[in-house]
Amino acid sequence: MFQIISDGGCDFSKAEAQKYNIEVIPFYVSFDHENYLKEGVDISKEDYFNRLMAEKGIFPKTSQPSPQDYIDVYTPHLEAGRDILALSISSHLSGSHNSAVLAIDMLKEEFPDRTVLLIDSRNVSIGQGLILREIIKMRDAGYPLEETVRIAEKIKQTTRVYFTLESLEYLKRGGRVGPTTALVGGILGLSPILQVEDGQVSQLDNVRGRKRAMKLIEEAMVAALKDETQNINLSIGHVVCPNDAAAFKAATEAALDMKVENPITEIGVTIGSHAGPGALAFAYCKKYDTV
Amino acid sequence: MSNWYIIAQILGVITICFEFASYQIKDKAKYFLVTGIGSFFWMTMFVAIGLATGMSTQLSLIVASTYSTIRNLVFARIFTKNTPQSKEAGLIFLLVMIAVALVAGTMAVINSPAEVRWLHIIGMITALGFVIGQYLPGVHYVRITVVFYAVAVLLTQTPLNILHGDFRWNIMGMLIESAKIVSVIVFYIRFSSNAHEPGLKFAKP
Repeated sequence: MFQIISDGGCDFSKAEAQKYNIEVIPFYVSFDHENYLKEGVDISKEDYFNRLMAEKGIFPKTSQPSPQDYIDVYTPHLEAGRDILALSISSHLSGSHNSAVLAIDMLKEEFPDRTVLLIDSRNVSIGQGLILREIIKMRDAGYPLEETVRIAEKIKQTTRVYFTLESLEYLKRGGRVGPTTALVGGILGLSPILQVEDGQVSQLDNVRGRKRAMKLIEEAMVAALKDETQNINLSIGHVVCPNDAAAFKAATEAALDMKVENPITEIGVTIGSHAGPGALAFAYCKKYDTV
Repeated sequence: MSNWYIIAQILGVITICFEFASYQIKDKAKYFLVTGIGSFFWMTMFVAIGLATGMSTQLSLIVASTYSTIRNLVFARIFTKNTPQSKEAGLIFLLVMIAVALVAGTMAVINSPAEVRWLHIIGMITALGFVIGQYLPGVHYVRITVVFYAVAVLLTQTPLNILHGDFRWNIMGMLIESAKIVSVIVFYIRFSSNAHEPGLKFAKP
């Protein structure tokens, strides 16, 4: 059996990582752009977002794990004779994938008989998390490493993530929208709907009011998924709005007449810093045995 | 009859075609491009009339249609690029356009006879509403505001010219404004038959 290792872009909790016997290599975050803290190790998601909300005008910097971070996590498994399937956040969004590539290159000489296969998820947060969940299922079903990677590559083509934000404030802080756009968007009550497409985040639509955004999302979701409910895995995530996420989960289950089996995910720093508190996300992909 | 006058009618018909087509388009960037081309032909129509009848009578209309052409084509470019920088630039451009329209509208209101001033105020409000409606997300705001704007133009500008009790109707002007209203009606007839389709589309897994 191979070892599964993902970077922190998957937004798995520590408890989930332990439950599924996977390793998660955390991202770094810094408020002063000098001292970096490991997400989920040195600072919890809750503390991070509370500070983000409390200190107006700050924009923390996130940083990918270094090659050495990967080497430190990979090495014990390789020494124990285990091959590795590694999953990274989209290489369009972070240098984490590159760090993993460098680490694997460096470890090749030391462990010539071991195999480390790396997948660029071309996704982020709960989208990356869904691919990871399917990989875990395949490992537990006894699929060999190469076959798992082959199927995971297909699964990632079917993975979609959509977000709606409560405000443009955090996009402004991160320099992703200008101050005039944020100001006017705030006055008009615009709720942007974002998507992850081909590994990159782009704006799908701009809707006036969160309620309307949620209604449109529900309609679009039903149209896209109503004939696929048996074949898909679905996940819901949020940034400090668990009640909204729970309500959305219940609405989704009712609208699609299916159970969302995955727990509601707390979105982490990689996307959460830009989306900001109040962001709600959902993702879907095909199950490994239906692609 | 001057050749320029005949050319103006041809340009007017081309304007009608583009204006009608533009309100059948849901995609914002394409809408702005098509309506921008329509505005361009609208502007050349006034130039042609000016060449036929004297430029001084058409100057304010040429300025107004040039303003529309520039605004629509700039927005077409902004919505096509769809980057944070282009959006920011677009919004600042929109605010400048609103400011220009406010100043011009206020001047027109101040210089108008007291008994028809309210009509000028309505014209200014509908023009501003239309500019904002064009920019707002979705397909509805632009179509609702253009109907009010077209009705105001029909009533207060050259087409029907009720402001001064002058009943020398401008048939082409009436057709152009009516084409916008008819196009919106046609759009909603088409839209109502597709009402079951969601406004937002997600990809199939």
